[in-house]
Amino acid sequence: MAQTKLFPVTVVGSWTRQPWLVAALRQRQAGEISAAEFDAVADDAVLAAIKYQEDAGVDIVADGEMRRDNFYSFVVEKLGGMRLMKLSQLMDYVKDRAGFEEILRALDVPAFAIKSPIAVEKIREREGLCVGEAKFLKEHTKRATKIPIPGPYLLTRSSWFEGLSDKAYPTREDLARDVVQILRREIVRLKELGIDFIQLDEPSLSQVVYGDEAEQTFMCAALGSRTDPTHELEFAVRLMNETVDGIDGVHFGVHVCRGNWSRKENVLLAGNYGPLLPWLMRMNVHQLVLEMATPRAGEIEVFKEYRNEKELGLGVSNPRTDEIEAPAEIVKRVKEILRYFDPDKIYLNPDCGFGTFAERCVNTSPVAFHKLQAIAEAAEMLRKECG
Amino acid sequence: MADETILNGLHPAKLRTITDSMRDDPNVLKDVSGPWKSRVVWQGGFRAKAYMRKHVIEMDEPEGLDATDAAASAHEQLLSAMGSCLTVGFVLNATKRGVRIHDLEVALEGNFENILKWAGHSADGNPGYSAVKAKLFVRADADEKTLQELWRLAVEGSPVTQTIARPTRIITEFEKV
Repeated sequence: MAQTKLFPVTVVGSWTRQPWLVAALRQRQAGEISAAEFDAVADDAVLAAIKYQEDAGVDIVADGEMRRDNFYSFVVEKLGGMRLMKLSQLMDYVKDRAGFEEILRALDVPAFAIKSPIAVEKIREREGLCVGEAKFLKEHTKRATKIPIPGPYLLTRSSWFEGLSDKAYPTREDLARDVVQILRREIVRLKELGIDFIQLDEPSLSQVVYGDEAEQTFMCAALGSRTDPTHELEFAVRLMNETVDGIDGVHFGVHVCRGNWSRKENVLLAGNYGPLLPWLMRMNVHQLVLEMATPRAGEIEVFKEYRNEKELGLGVSNPRTDEIEAPAEIVKRVKEILRYFDPDKIYLNPDCGFGTFAERCVNTSPVAFHKLQAIAEAAEMLRKECG
Repeated sequence: MADETILNGLHPAKLRTITDSMRDDPNVLKDVSGPWKSRVVWQGGFRAKAYMRKHVIEMDEPEGLDATDAAASAHEQLLSAMGSCLTVGFVLNATKRGVRIHDLEVALEGNFENILKWAGHSADGNPGYSAVKAKLFVRADADEKTLQELWRLAVEGSPVTQTIARPTRIITEFEKV
């Protein structure tokens, strides 16, 4: 990706949803309106999301994931063999029901609000996962573009569920082979459309490292089973590298965060990136897009031994608060990280999206706009100092 | 508000007829009022089976109590019975009013006031729940005020909830066989 200036400002992906968009999404999911009718509504929402980002000074814009129910479950509509299932429907198959109940109570959410795409047959492509989003985005902005897609580990882990998936795929590894091939074909299509930055979302890696020892959980979209952490991380690295192997001419990032469904900080995962970095650094991507704006992200000294090994998409704004971060404070934070990264290795972004889950957006559009504006202002200040 | 022959898996017109007949026909009211019956048969250990009309529910206690945890305990099933009764009441009132429900859950919990009385270490106090919390999660085609009113009707009209909430006369008998 041709980087023309230092400290490019970008987003992690999702924008806030208006009630009329959520209502239309529900109508489409219930079969009350067609995909084309929904897209006509969503087009307006995407245009607003693009305008907000451009006006705020974002250099690499996304479409706000406005057509998605959430950052990964939308694949159900794009792939045959997948079924979107609520946790309330999966409870009969869950091994540790008591453990799930504890999490539901801690989060104070109903089981019907947690949904995951489950592979119930051999998965097959019906249309591109994000090709429609990408085309529309490219047609409506002249700026560089980013498309977030579910990472191969996330998609495999969330979609393979014992008792439901094992007839088509006896093991997770069997499903992973198909997932990787589907994602590779999608990435090539996005690259051919001229998308500049493809971000592979892997939030469930956080649960592997920072979550409890539960084999199954639904935190960080990690609904499916896992084995021991080392095996999971090795599995994730292998899948990521198989997904991007040999594909040049597009910028790859991996996004990891610790939950973005609640404004209650105490229900989100915490811990520094130290335990994850050895594996993230082995992923053949250009950039790590990391949550770094809250104390939960831990000490930045963990980057010391990985100086400049990769670019950092530095999270400098908490998407779940009403307060707008002061540009001077953002500059201060970036300067701390410049101890371990050169200026041309740093991109600036919020910690995560503003509407990861369509029905549980964590902020409003005006607040999100002002947060991005503050980041862009900080980027200008940094360019003057470091340029 | 939907005007449908079938709503929430029920028939609104039929439901209205049934509930009206409870008001208008003393025989219907008598039939619905009871007596409702259950027979509980010990299965060994802390296990039991409850037989109700053509239905059977199993009960056990957690493993920590030297039990086999083969089924939910009676006190957990009491919470479940209350949640189920509240669900029925909410769905009844919503359906009669033409409100379509998409998803509904009730999360319940309670703490024993003095479980030492059950354990035989205390002669005083209430071994039962000191309070029961019931939280409704609902996604339905109605505004919040309407849904809150339906919830109020469900709580106030719930036979199980009101049995728990009020001092209920318990008549015990005993026979050595």
